[in-house]
Amino acid sequence: MHWKSRKDRLEDEIQTHIDLETQENIEAGMSPEEARHAARRKFGNVLLTQEKSREIWGWQWLERLWLDVTFSLRVLRKSPGFTIVAVLTLALGIGANAAIFTLVNAVLMKNLPVADPKTLVRIGSENDCCVGQGTPKDGGFSLFPTAAWQILKKNAPEFEELAAIQAGFEWRPVTVRRDGTNEAQSVMGEFVSGNYFSVLGLQPQLGRLLTDSDNVAGAPMVAIMSYLTWQRDYAGDPSVVGSTFWVNTKPVIVAGIAPEGFFGDRLSSTPPDFYLPFETMPVLASAPYVHDPNMQWLYMVGRVKPSVQLPALQEKLSTLFRQYIAESRPYYSGKGKAELSKVHVVLTPGGGGIQNMQESYGSNLRMLMALSGLVLLIACANIANLLLVRGMARKAEMSVRSALGAARGRLMRQLLTESVILSAMGGIAGLAMAYAGTRMLLALAFPGAQNVPIHASPSLPVLAFACGLSLLTGLLFGVAPAWIAAQAVPADALRSGSRATTVGASLLQRGLVVLQAALSLVLLVGAGLFSHSLYKLQTTDLKLESANRYIAHINPQAAGYKQTQVEALYRTMEERFHTIPGVEKVGISTYTPMEDNNEDTGVQIQGKPDLNLGSSWIKVNSEYFDSVGTHITMGRGVSAQDSSATRPVAVVSKAFVKKFFNAGENPIGYTFGSGSTDGYEIVGVVDDTVYTSAYWKDHLMYFVPLAQRPLNTKDPIENDTTMYAGAIVLKTSHPINNMEALTRQTLASINPNLTVVKFQTFDQQISDRFAHERLVARLTMLFGALALLLATIGLYGVTAYTVARRTSEIGIRMALGAKRVRVISMVMRGAMIQAALGLAIGIPTALLCVRFVESQLYDTKGQDVGVLAVAITTLVLAACLAALLPARRAASIEPAQALRTE
Amino acid sequence: MSTKETENQLELLQGTLDLLILQTLAFGRAHGHAIARSIEHRSEEVLQVGHGSLYPALQRLLKLGLIVAEDGISENNRKARFYRLTTRGRQRLSLETSKWQRFSRAMARLLMPLAEESK
Repeated sequence: MHWKSRKDRLEDEIQTHIDLETQENIEAGMSPEEARHAARRKFGNVLLTQEKSREIWGWQWLERLWLDVTFSLRVLRKSPGFTIVAVLTLALGIGANAAIFTLVNAVLMKNLPVADPKTLVRIGSENDCCVGQGTPKDGGFSLFPTAAWQILKKNAPEFEELAAIQAGFEWRPVTVRRDGTNEAQSVMGEFVSGNYFSVLGLQPQLGRLLTDSDNVAGAPMVAIMSYLTWQRDYAGDPSVVGSTFWVNTKPVIVAGIAPEGFFGDRLSSTPPDFYLPFETMPVLASAPYVHDPNMQWLYMVGRVKPSVQLPALQEKLSTLFRQYIAESRPYYSGKGKAELSKVHVVLTPGGGGIQNMQESYGSNLRMLMALSGLVLLIACANIANLLLVRGMARKAEMSVRSALGAARGRLMRQLLTESVILSAMGGIAGLAMAYAGTRMLLALAFPGAQNVPIHASPSLPVLAFACGLSLLTGLLFGVAPAWIAAQAVPADALRSGSRATTVGASLLQRGLVVLQAALSLVLLVGAGLFSHSLYKLQTTDLKLESANRYIAHINPQAAGYKQTQVEALYRTMEERFHTIPGVEKVGISTYTPMEDNNEDTGVQIQGKPDLNLGSSWIKVNSEYFDSVGTHITMGRGVSAQDSSATRPVAVVSKAFVKKFFNAGENPIGYTFGSGSTDGYEIVGVVDDTVYTSAYWKDHLMYFVPLAQRPLNTKDPIENDTTMYAGAIVLKTSHPINNMEALTRQTLASINPNLTVVKFQTFDQQISDRFAHERLVARLTMLFGALALLLATIGLYGVTAYTVARRTSEIGIRMALGAKRVRVISMVMRGAMIQAALGLAIGIPTALLCVRFVESQLYDTKGQDVGVLAVAITTLVLAACLAALLPARRAASIEPAQALRTE
Repeated sequence: MSTKETENQLELLQGTLDLLILQTLAFGRAHGHAIARSIEHRSEEVLQVGHGSLYPALQRLLKLGLIVAEDGISENNRKARFYRLTTRGRQRLSLETSKWQRFSRAMARLLMPLAEESK
């Protein structure tokens, strides 16, 4: 650099000046020694001159910064213990926050990668799914029949366009085989209206996207493939566009590829692989509800025209929909007329897509965000404490430096540089930790899912967030000690020796430690509650047996079977699977215990008054109860003789009996149905095995044979989707490692289109249902541990500092006869008082805070005495540990030596 | 420290030193030591300039473009840095000189009665 050579030249010049002066002095008769001294005296401060001259060049600030930075680095290197603790503390605090924020940002704040997401509006606000009838409790609809979509689309010109989207595609995978290959695959297919892509304003990656003319019954069937699927399964082969794929055994042309990055209209761990016009659904998926005016199965998202007033639009849509409901449902003209006025729709922002995942994770994420904020607070308190202690210890250094002429501002700038460097280091380390942390979070939150459209890499806002946070922290905790140090009057500081009889640490320091203890108690209580809740959940008696059980989810409809063909298929499956050595029981059912699925209907017992109650129900084969470990408590289970040709029978759960029958009444022989004419005869009672969710306690269930349909039913079998089994449960005599491969082979040997939708052990399936709770429990545990660690370090730091400051005092005490035990107890007492104060603040705070999380707990009261006791004990133990080390050091002080050190 | 200040304003003492340097260089080029010596001599040792303070002043004048520096050999055969007035420096010198003269006349008049009174 130019200025460096200029700097050398200036030094030379000044040297020359002094030399010339010396020369003159010698000529005037001085001795060389004297001459040089006189010349120097005359010149004045050489360094100052250089500095002032260079200042004029204008590079001084950079040079100073460089000096400050190198000096700071040197200082930090000189106290590696302090530096490591500080950087680690910051890294943990920032890392935890950045990781949570990455997730929050991705899940709660991100818009869909579509054009102008702000003008997208969703009709409805609830996570209602997937296909059903009836009115939501408050009358607010989110799920609609096809006809309602058509009416709203036609009569609301406020929408540029309005799209309809299948609500529950995740529960209805499709089986796809590319023409010319033999391998069929079970993938996600989402059925949507023809204007789906144009509403979202998307351009095709290749080929074309769907149009309204595709969504017409009888039109040539086309599909759009997702970019991810195209890349992953077909290596981006352009010839995919225009080629035939066999979707659920029917030929469909892939017309185009959706744009890169588009993952559908909602966050999902199983995003759609194919987008299909929903008019193809009756043909492809045998869905009878597409044109049923009463069946609700669609979400609606539209793009509003500019300057449309949303409240007015909401009112208009509600009126339109109410009219439709009144006309299409006779119920509302009769006794339900009063309820009609409650029917309405709510408009919600649609730019983030359908908010199902947001809804289920939102409260947890916000809580975790708050917890990580607390951890950061504790981390900051720790850092502040560390720097305060350091500031005190460096008081002498600062005094000397300012006595030597360093300006106060200069000292402050240097200290600030030091904290900013420290926090920058913490920020960088925190970012690395955030990256690892987010990966861990994603793995915890979505176990086994590879396609979650959330990336672990911290995005730009996250980066800004972490950096801003670390810088803010740096400035915050840099200012206080710098201010205090700069206030020091050099002479005072130099005069007062190290002899201190008062309490070593300042009130501020102690206050910070108390705060830390209080906050960590809150976090510990939270961790305890969620762990307790998880423990309760996992140890709930699900009334099933999961050892040596495997569950293969299947989709016979997607394999091309008609409802009338499946009875024979199930017999074949039973036979084939029994030929596998080790397989003891082959259960087949529409769905299985502890999976995210449910089917329910109204129940009316014949000969009894209508209680207006419903029950969940499942179709099962004869070995099903044994395969999942449900015990038969009365009568018989489903037998192999119960077929489409015999009288329809049902097995009901104990909870079912308890609800519908009087105590001691024998339910066997009664007939029930969803109406008053159709029905099944009860032949047995089984245990209350838990289905769907562990939170559903004593849920009403009934089970009917796979092939049977209610007596006197008027519904044609062609419309009955419940004929299709969804799962095979295999009970084996011992663990079989290659069970999945065997299952696939067996199914493929029956029909190559019989694909495995999902294969898991029963234990895995159950464990997945707790993933959410496990994530929360683990994270609260992690945060609790982090908080405790930081608080312990904080308490240790302050206690150790106090002991160091009081070395000579303790020496005097011991010289005067104080016993070591007394010294230990004195130090311990100081630490314990702080811990106790922390508890005094923390316990009420924790009890106050638990109210906010109580709703997220399973079978656990917020004010759980056991949890509170464990949390308090943990904190006290940690405090003891933190105080014991400095206390022992205090007790090992040699009086004579302590008095000598000054 | 803002450089703007150093560019445009010549504070009294600083300005005086700057002016003295310019004045010294009006006789021809000189190196730092010679300038210091010359100021000392010509002010009959009244103005005791700390030699060190000469250098920031030289840098300032260089920056303002009033003088230029060049390498040369001193009278006793040493490599030294010589300073010379630029045209702009010369203009500035005459400007400042007249300003200074007006100023010192005014100061002299102002201070005169006070000086007599206090006698």
